[in-house]
Amino acid sequence: MAPGSKIVASILVADRPGIMRDITTAITDLGGNIDGISQTVVEGYFSVILTAAFPQPLEPPAVQAAIACRFGSQEASIVVRPFVPVPREPRLAGGQRYLLVVSGRDQPGILKRTTTCLAARGINIEDWSFQFDGTQVTYIGQLTVPRNVPIGDVQRELHRTLGQIDLRCTLQHENIFRATNEVGPIKSLLQESADAAQP
Amino acid sequence: MLRSHDVLTTVRMLQEENLDVRAVTMGINLCDCAGGDMDTVAAAVEAKIRARAAQLVAVCDDLTTAYGLQIVNKRLAISPASQLLEGHHGTEAAVRLARALDAAATAVRVDLVGGFTALVQKGMTPGEQLLIESLPDVLAATQRVCASVNIATTKAGINVDAVNLVARTILRIANATASSNGFGAAKLVVFANIPEDNPFMAGAYLGAGEPESVINVGVSGPGVVKRAVERAVARNPACTLDDIAEEVKHTAFRVTRTGELIGREAAARLGVPFGVVDLSLAPTPRIGDSVGEIYQAMGIAKLGAPGTTAAVALLNDAVKKGGAFASSAVGGLSGAFIPVMEDHALSEAVAAGTLTLEKLEAMTAVCSVGLDMILLPGDTTAETLAGLILDEAAIGVTNAKTTAVRIIPVPGKRAGDRVDFGGLFGSGTVTNVNCPTGAETFVNRGGHIPAPLRSLGN
Repeated sequence: MAPGSKIVASILVADRPGIMRDITTAITDLGGNIDGISQTVVEGYFSVILTAAFPQPLEPPAVQAAIACRFGSQEASIVVRPFVPVPREPRLAGGQRYLLVVSGRDQPGILKRTTTCLAARGINIEDWSFQFDGTQVTYIGQLTVPRNVPIGDVQRELHRTLGQIDLRCTLQHENIFRATNEVGPIKSLLQESADAAQP
Repeated sequence: MLRSHDVLTTVRMLQEENLDVRAVTMGINLCDCAGGDMDTVAAAVEAKIRARAAQLVAVCDDLTTAYGLQIVNKRLAISPASQLLEGHHGTEAAVRLARALDAAATAVRVDLVGGFTALVQKGMTPGEQLLIESLPDVLAATQRVCASVNIATTKAGINVDAVNLVARTILRIANATASSNGFGAAKLVVFANIPEDNPFMAGAYLGAGEPESVINVGVSGPGVVKRAVERAVARNPACTLDDIAEEVKHTAFRVTRTGELIGREAAARLGVPFGVVDLSLAPTPRIGDSVGEIYQAMGIAKLGAPGTTAAVALLNDAVKKGGAFASSAVGGLSGAFIPVMEDHALSEAVAAGTLTLEKLEAMTAVCSVGLDMILLPGDTTAETLAGLILDEAAIGVTNAKTTAVRIIPVPGKRAGDRVDFGGLFGSGTVTNVNCPTGAETFVNRGGHIPAPLRSLGN
């Protein structure tokens, strides 16, 4: 929004009530509009990444200082950078969305094996979550698979590498999940996929 | 954004509860293959099927990979073969046609091809009569060809002469395939109110009003529904029947949408229109994939006990309600099947004597589709078979619903003997007709039972 400015910020802080209020107040008081945000909490640590646009030119250190003053000293790790649009990886244009579910006994190396296999084929992780049940862990990854990657080969490789450490996995097109959990027409769902598949 | 719970629920349905697509069936119109020389007709039939269905199995395999969902059967349904037999004479012509269908089905790697069909509810053409009379040779000479005969509709009434002919033919089929315990009869369904778009075998065919080619899908899901009922009961052991109906309805919604997703994708990739999802709950002999187990989960400890018919009605209705909301392309048979041999719980109940032929007949009044995959003693008479078919047809015609009979008189076997057909056809115990004689005079009068008053609906 020329001649204004846009930043991307990341904040890591021990979780407590009011964190989002503190961050958003700091940005709003500077005249900013938050136009992208994602947050999560892992093992008691809160993390958020956001983008915000300002009507006036504003340097990132000024934004960082405004946020920092809402927290105690050493309470939060704050990174603020000028927003630079990131071009989409060309191979991912026209890619299809798949969901990966990995489950079994928690142990070191699960993510390394999984992500190594995915990265080798140019598969991008869009979202990753997990849940524990005692000693068992389940990871759910939302992936974008480049259009020319043979999904059967990826499935076999994941089964092989994760099977070596007694883990189960499934890799399925997201439409099967949307079809069974959403109420919109199937035709619309397929049209969305077709549109997304246009490079 | 999908929630973790939703994702894991879907994975569980697919991985642990036997949710699959039971059949992707491609309908193909073969009317343009008709001609005066059967060798020419057969060649045209084979060529057209090879061209139209060449990619069917490959497309289904690709969808299985992408969605992690098994498509159990890939099948063909053709326009009624009787139309190709008009003007031809002799059983050899029908067998020649059937062999061409068998060869084409083998070439494109489908499991079965349905549509060796005659529609004779009001009368019979020479081609239809030839088709019916050739069935013993056709079904003995082929592996993949399935046949059906529609002997009644609510509009036309019941063609009793056709029923008698078909009953005699069933005995001849059983004897022609005696070495496989009369298995040929398992490939023939006798219908009242046959649907034009049914994707399930043995009764699939491409009816009048259907496109040149079409994809219809039959879903499965008895295991998913059973587990849903079990979870509802585990959550609240005092849950009421309306709680169970609600659970079934929601599960049927998911199952139906899975079918529509696969059907639309397959149709788009094959370049043909998508037709319908048949939301029938179709069991297999596998434990955990049984419709009978759903009734047991509801609380019917002994299948066949009083209350069983009500349980069937509850299930059938809830499945329809969930399916109807899930998709506006629901068709075919769309009900809960009760094929005795293909459902281990039903088969065991018949063997135990709690589930009788007469109780099964009552159940068919409130579900899909009829007396299905039932073994009878080898000495059952044609009149008894005709009476069974007439009773089922009467239920269908009067209630304006599809009913059907697929019964196998097993040569040399008596009530209580075991028979195993293997695979999806399953195994079972030969059962008795409680009162096998006494209606011969009625049956042999022949003629036509007029359409019921409700046929005059305009």
